[in-house]
Amino acid sequence: MAYEPPVTDYDKIVENCTCAFCGSNCDDVDILVKDNHVVGVRHACRLGASKIMEDEDQRLTVPMIRDENGELVEVDWDTALDKAAELIAGAVRPVFYGWSETSIEAMKPGLELTELVGAVIDNQATICHGPTVQAVQNVGYPLMTLGEVKNRADMVVYTGSNPMNAHPRHLARYTTFPKGFFRKRGRFDRTLVTWDPKYSDTAKLSDIWVPFEENGDYAFCNAIRAVLKGKELKQDVISGIPKEDIVALTEKMKNTQFGALFFGLGLTHTLSKQRNIDIAIQLVQDLNKYTKWVLLPMRGHFNVNGFNIFMSYEMGFPYGVDFSRGYPRYMIGETTTIDLLNRKECDVFMVIAADPGAHFPGGALAHLADIPVIQIDIHWGPSTELADVVLPGTFIGVETAGTSYRMDSVPIFMKKAIDPPETCREDEWIVNELLKRVTKLKEASK
Amino acid sequence: MEYILKNGIVYDPINEINGEKKDVMFKDGKIVNSVSDDAKVIDVTDKLVMPAGIDVHCHLAGPKLCVGRLYRPEDERRGVKPKTDITRPETGFSIPNCPATGYRFSKMGYGTVVEAAVPPLEAKHTHEEIIAIPNIDIPPLTLFGNNWFILQFAKEGRIEDIAAFVSAWLKITKGYGVKIVNPCGSEAWGWGMNVHGIDDPAPYWDVTAREVIRALAQANEMLGLPHSIHIHPNDLGHPGNFPTTVNTIDCMKDIKKNSEYRNQTIHLTHAQFHCYDGTSWRDVTSGVEPVADYINKHDHVTMDMGQVTLDETTTMTADGPMEYDLYELTGLKWANKDIELETASGLVPFIYSGRNPVHSLQWAIGLELALMIEDPWKVCLTTDSPNAGPFIRYPRVMSWLMSYQRRAEMMDNKEVHAWAGRKSALGTLDREYDFYDIATITRAGPSKIYGFEDRGHLGAGAIADIAVYDLEPNNFDPTRNAAEVEKAFSNALYTIKDGQILVKDGEIVKVVSSKHVRTEVEGFEDEEKRILEEIMPFFNRYYTVKFENYVVHDHYAEPSSVYKVNASK
Amino acid sequence: MTYIEKPSISNVVKFEDPDVAQVKKLTVMLNTGTDIYQGACKKRGSTLKDEYRKVAGVCYMDPKDMARLGVGNWDSVLVKSDWGEVVCYAAHSRDAPHEGMIFIPKGPWANVVVSPETYCCSDPTYKGIHATVEKTDKEVLLMADLMRYVYKKYVKEGDKTEELPSLGEMPIYKRKVRSQ
Ligand code: SF4
Ligand SMILES: [Zn+2]
Ligand SMILES: [Zn+2]
Repeated sequence: MAYEPPVTDYDKIVENCTCAFCGSNCDDVDILVKDNHVVGVRHACRLGASKIMEDEDQRLTVPMIRDENGELVEVDWDTALDKAAELIAGAVRPVFYGWSETSIEAMKPGLELTELVGAVIDNQATICHGPTVQAVQNVGYPLMTLGEVKNRADMVVYTGSNPMNAHPRHLARYTTFPKGFFRKRGRFDRTLVTWDPKYSDTAKLSDIWVPFEENGDYAFCNAIRAVLKGKELKQDVISGIPKEDIVALTEKMKNTQFGALFFGLGLTHTLSKQRNIDIAIQLVQDLNKYTKWVLLPMRGHFNVNGFNIFMSYEMGFPYGVDFSRGYPRYMIGETTTIDLLNRKECDVFMVIAADPGAHFPGGALAHLADIPVIQIDIHWGPSTELADVVLPGTFIGVETAGTSYRMDSVPIFMKKAIDPPETCREDEWIVNELLKRVTKLKEASK
Repeated sequence: MEYILKNGIVYDPINEINGEKKDVMFKDGKIVNSVSDDAKVIDVTDKLVMPAGIDVHCHLAGPKLCVGRLYRPEDERRGVKPKTDITRPETGFSIPNCPATGYRFSKMGYGTVVEAAVPPLEAKHTHEEIIAIPNIDIPPLTLFGNNWFILQFAKEGRIEDIAAFVSAWLKITKGYGVKIVNPCGSEAWGWGMNVHGIDDPAPYWDVTAREVIRALAQANEMLGLPHSIHIHPNDLGHPGNFPTTVNTIDCMKDIKKNSEYRNQTIHLTHAQFHCYDGTSWRDVTSGVEPVADYINKHDHVTMDMGQVTLDETTTMTADGPMEYDLYELTGLKWANKDIELETASGLVPFIYSGRNPVHSLQWAIGLELALMIEDPWKVCLTTDSPNAGPFIRYPRVMSWLMSYQRRAEMMDNKEVHAWAGRKSALGTLDREYDFYDIATITRAGPSKIYGFEDRGHLGAGAIADIAVYDLEPNNFDPTRNAAEVEKAFSNALYTIKDGQILVKDGEIVKVVSSKHVRTEVEGFEDEEKRILEEIMPFFNRYYTVKFENYVVHDHYAEPSSVYKVNASK
Repeated sequence: MTYIEKPSISNVVKFEDPDVAQVKKLTVMLNTGTDIYQGACKKRGSTLKDEYRKVAGVCYMDPKDMARLGVGNWDSVLVKSDWGEVVCYAAHSRDAPHEGMIFIPKGPWANVVVSPETYCCSDPTYKGIHATVEKTDKEVLLMADLMRYVYKKYVKEGDKTEELPSLGEMPIYKRKVRSQ
């Protein structure tokens, strides 16, 4: 990157803001403000800074509705909210999707609205760590907060994830580089291991790179488990890794004092899906017979875990919860967004703080072209190209304060640094308005 | 609004009212001695009236619960109920969703439920769940027993600094009192280890449970907190652990209490799990006698039962190593959650069964404890919910305590395994609790133990938290009708909270917000400031969140009910 | 341990690599996923712009595969799978070598060719898709044009999407006339 001179022209610094990008939720970000505009960001990585220093050209600033020509037209808030409320109140099988980039405070009225109309509520976990949640339900969940790793870990393993790209400060702030209480020399006191078919940017930093074959993750973990249990490996090469190396690595893992395994979508998105995670979790459980091991899924959005936690405490199920019968049902493959779209079941789709246009497979998006879509977001994105009602929200962690849960489930209160644009409204306010208006419509039709 | 609850049979042990026919009056949410003629009359002639229940130890809100719900949809699918015009949908059996938690406690006539373990780093989460739970007041206990700052200060004998730290951290976490779980053991679990007994030092910190417990207790009394230290001792669930339990209580006996209202300086929680004799699960027997004997002879200790209810449930505790042992024993899915600088925790589903010899013995041990400790003011009814069983079973536990016949029947007709009778003294105990005793162990005792001067009784000035049950104590024999006892205590005729009728005829008729009940020490601010300044560099270096973002802000704890304490130094 | 050894990557695509036979069409395994550049653009909110097309409408390939196909950086390639086809820029992968494997960062371009099949697991199949890559002279579309071309939600009957004018790189909507 080109050299950028430090920003010196600002009115104030707002310290210890929380980055609203990835699941690392770095809460040490300083935002430089001038005239109620963000002019600089300190401590955030490139990803975090890019979001905080947003592209204002594409900021959604006014409510909009499509006209008969399929063009978006600016309208006032009442018109847009009434239109959205009417769609929701008239829906038979509404799906409210997203929530991972907004605050818990906004989820609360969202769930109320869901209960009121008997909708399905779901978040991005459905297309990312859904299999992880299923694996956790199969075999368990031995985890820790990130500070445990920082203070104790002498071995850190990343697999199926490339934090240097997706969670850039993960290594620097939590796992590998920082000086911990029992790891006073930081990086030098730790062994960094990457299991990845690709020589990723994280692998490049590692002490040990294990390039198992594509789709070789299951067999590889299985082999380590076998060695741990004292079994003789029958093949010379497993998933592309020589048997001796597997044995040597297993020994190393057994002889650490504190090991931590981090895994990402590379594991959940291959064909064996949750089975890959099953075995990774079981591997960590087995290792605890010898020494301390923990694991953590590398959650993507800053509040994707928050939604799962929120739904679990409110309604007992983490995502893909269907209220059409008046009580919550959770059936993976049945009450989950992609499946509902694939089956063309949904008749009104509301997306908040998410961008299915950028993340859903075309096969699922095709159905969104056939039904009304309501979008609540801060930027004009691929989903806007499919949206019939657009409601501009505000930026959590910069313009609006709120609660989020880090990937390790540590709750963080994200404060605000500037005031939101005048024409935008907080997600919480928007959803509350929808709730009020839909309640009215429902009562009127009784 | 004024009310008069007419002609009930009242049990109010704090005011020594034992089954008198009496009116209870309240106005604007408080109990009063008289009301005007305009008062609304609620006729409860001959029905059983008590203060609303107080649960001294339950796991109902916070990160552990949430891991449980997230990883046990099979439990959530038990107990599903659709929404009604008044209530939201319910899910869950041992780990119900938040709305169900509130409704179910309310239906049993409970008004206050203590959340027994809050890791400070995730205290916001606990408070968020308290906001989501309706109808009960919730005092959260903050975990201190494995906190690095405490370990260090205890090692150095800095009692006043511990007091300052506790005082500050109760404010930071919006907590009510001091909880200690497997002191030094949960820290050892950071390395996959544990400690055994109270004199086995934590790795690196080189401080023992004895030192930590004593230091925290001295600090607790220095501040004069309303509750004493609340302890889950070392060696939970290990055959042969009863000496550790006795040693834990005994190491406290010279510490002077600093409270008018409560009597104890240590509360021993889920005692059932800590009263085992023998050396293995094969030769395990009840170790209740020495523990009960000690408690009978000393007044500085109170306890709660941790009664096994013989259900499929979910175990969860800050005792991380114990949960791993349980996982090795059962092979059921193991979850773990270690919290930086503060504590560990773990979860394992558990299927208690009356056919299993060990579970049956555990069932017997809990009851044995409650029956062998003579003074009911030292006993509280709990199931360490959900660990030994879900809280909705409290009425069943009451029915067991009230009926020797029922207990004998269970042992005779093999509802429990023969070990229950063979390896404990339960079969020989014919003591039966009466309604006054039940009111003591679920209302009056808990009120004293927690320093809740404003609840747990029906004297003027108390908050109007009242339960009425559909039993007529004068025409009913609880020793012969266990099933009816259970049914009546499960479905209150009325539950009144702060003077509002929340339950009528066993159904929720009104939903209100729960209050966050917490303690605030006054007069220790300088010490707090000094200690915060001292530890801040360490905090910033080793925590992964900024102090500013660590604090539980006020808006997480609304509405609140604050017990102010004057640090009497 | 032998597996510590790290490969060195050549920085140039060698069209005349003697080991490489020229082909018209490559059969590959398609993976998609996050990539820092795509992520930054997405969150910045500059998805309408050329910069987004340049980071998400990209098919990262092994240099040897590029040589086989005879494509250089920023040439257009057509990626086809059972689920659809999309034109992307070819680019030399930083993570090479991985012959026979292509990577398209997650985004509207990748979506066209990944599988919506969840196998009853909520999660569609974003990785391990069988696909083919061939050279093409078609343009890589800007995001808005791509969405219109693929989903045709607001395209009037009879209109040929290919012939409509580009939606460009800025939001298009009718602003309210504000009375002063
Ligand atoms: S690592 Fe994640 S949370 Fe931290 S600054 Fe970067 S994008 Fe933000
Ligand atoms: Zn406990
Ligand atoms: Zn407990």
